Formats: sequence, C-alpha cells, structure tokens
Amino acid sequence: MMKINQPYFILNLSPWPILMALNTFNLMISNIMIMNFKFNMMSLMNMFMIISISILWWRDVIRESTFQGNHNFYIMNLIKFSMILFIISEMFLFISFFWNFLHNSLAPSIELGLNWPPKNINFFNPLLIPLLNTIILLTSSFTVTLTHLYLLNNSKKKTIIFMNLTIILSIYFLMLQMLEYNQATFTFSDSIFGSSFYMATGFHGLHVIIGTIFLMINLLRMMKLHFSFIHHISFELAAWYWHFIDIIWLFLYMTFYWWNN
Amino acid sequence: MNSRLIVLGSKLAFRSSPRMFTTSAARLSTSKDEGFPDPLDLATGIEKKEMLLRLAGNDDPYNLKSIKRGVGTKETPNEIPSAFEARIVGCVCEEDSSHVKWMWLHSGEPKRCFCGHWFKLVYKEALV
Repeated sequence: MMKINQPYFILNLSPWPILMALNTFNLMISNIMIMNFKFNMMSLMNMFMIISISILWWRDVIRESTFQGNHNFYIMNLIKFSMILFIISEMFLFISFFWNFLHNSLAPSIELGLNWPPKNINFFNPLLIPLLNTIILLTSSFTVTLTHLYLLNNSKKKTIIFMNLTIILSIYFLMLQMLEYNQATFTFSDSIFGSSFYMATGFHGLHVIIGTIFLMINLLRMMKLHFSFIHHISFELAAWYWHFIDIIWLFLYMTFYWWNN
Repeated sequence: MNSRLIVLGSKLAFRSSPRMFTTSAARLSTSKDEGFPDPLDLATGIEKKEMLLRLAGNDDPYNLKSIKRGVGTKETPNEIPSAFEARIVGCVCEEDSSHVKWMWLHSGEPKRCFCGHWFKLVYKEALV
C-alpha cells in the first residue's frame, strides 16, 4: 500500500463529475425542449439521472469521510473555505437578480408606462403571507443554530428534535410559497415585473429545496451517528447554507415584496 | 409533548427496523441521552492518526511547519524527517535573502547547501 505522509486527500477515480457535467448540460437542453415544445420526458429523465448521480456521489463522499477517515482536520479547513467560495458565488447569482430588478424598477421604461409596479399588476400584500414566511425562515434559522448548540453540547435527542423542527419549518415555508404562487394574479410573462419577481423568488425557492435536502441528509446522518461534537462539518456547511438562504430571503422581502409595494 | 411527537415521527420515518409498527414504548420512555459518539471512537484512518499524534503532544503531525536550521556542520547536519527515499529541501541561506534555494535530499547522502550548511535525511514513520 502507498505510504501517506501528508494531509491532502488524493481522490480516487470517480465517474460522477463527468456524468454530472454531461447531465447538467442535457438538463439545459431539456429545459429548452419544455419551454419551446412542451416536451417533458427528456427533462424527467435528466432529473432522475441527476438525482441518482447526486445520491451516489454523496454516498461516496460519506464513505471517504466518515468510514475511511480521509477528511482530517486539515482537509476540513479546506472544505470550509470551498463552501465559503461557493456561497459567495451564489450571492453573486442573486446580486444579478437584484440588479435586474432595481435597474428596471428604479427608472421604469416607457414600455411600462413609466411607473412601477406596471399598470394593472395586482401585487399581493407583503404584510400577509410574505411576512409570515419571513418569520418562518427566521425561526428556522434560530432552530438550526439551536441544533448546532446541542450538537456541540453532545445531546443527541435535542439535536434531532431541533433538526426536525428546522426541516418542518422549511417545508412549511415551501408550502406557503407554493400557495402564494397559486393565488398570484400575475404570471412569469406579465412584463418585466413578473419576470424579475418569479425569477428571483423562484430561484430562492429552489435554493430552499436544496437546503432542505441538505438538512434532511444531515438529519439522517445524525440518526446514524455519523457525527461527533468536533467533527460534524457536513451539518455545519448545511447550517451556513441555510443562513445564507435566510439572508437572501430578507433582502428579497425588503426589495421584491415590501419596497415594491 | 410536541418534541416527543417529533422524535416519534422521525424514528418511525428513518429507523432501519423491518417492522413498520411497534407497540413498545420502551425506546421512547428512556430519558437518558447517550449523546453522539466519542470523537476518537468515531474517527478512523488518517484522521484518527492525526488526533492521536495531537493528543501525544505533536502540534505538527504533517511536518508542514518550517524547520529551524541548527549549526549544520558536516558532523552535526540539520536533520530533515521523511518517510520516503528523498525529500525536497528549501534552504533560506541568509537571514534576509529574498529567495529559497531548493534541492533534492536523498537518504544516506548528507548534502551541503551552497551556503555551507549540511542536511541529512532521517527516517520518520509515515502517517498511514
């Protein structure tokens, strides 16, 4: 066997990166198929493939870290830095949506009748469901912090209770968001208003779904006793991601819902 | 009460038992919290080796820190630890020199840097 005398983890050959890349490209094509030709099958196939690859890739990473011990404390630092870089890149994705919104709303073009919101757009009251959503997400941020506290204090029961609460709150948020989308009186194609609103809130909702899946995986791993109070980086990254989503929602609420009205 | 319901729900949803329903409440009635595994018990591989080395008082288990040069004569060369046959050594010849002089150091062949300091490779057990 090869002798190892350095902290870096040399990865084994893995098929998942290339398969994931190819499937992401195919997903893009299949989205165009949906939008232009209402052809769903390709997208469904690709979603199935992407979910399968994610599961298998994640399984491999769990094997490498928890069961082979390759994620030592040096690697854990590097993983944290890469997560920070990833979250910063996500922030810039959302900055582009905010930029688009502010560009179009601060000086509405002549095609919109020089007013914002455009004429005949009935926007919902930001003090009803959106405010409740804000409270829900803030509460879930609080419970995820409590989860971390109890994980650090090595009390498993309370950790799992608050992790469950966080996931329930996030699912509640998604349900309310879906309800609101269903009742909305304007659509994605109702001028730049609808486009920018659904693009930004839709992407935020997608990130909430991803964050919820991330938290669910961590709940499972907690129950399977994969974590200790000094090595729980997967949960820590999920909590960072969750706080990031929460902050994005606060900005979304302030500009797209509250100020917009 | 609610927290118990959540525990029950999550246990029913994620437990690995093949039985889908159990009438025993014994698992829920215990108030003792075993907590998460001990970090040293959970760790394995290189992670465990690092933890054990740190517990033994070694604050640089991977030899990442630079080694302070000693006298470095031919009789008492600077000892460079390595688990392999050779290691690349960078000598900062003078205190205020703006570059590092790199050289290969092979086991069994003490080497003299241009500045006059001697280096020798000593065997150190590999981490894993």
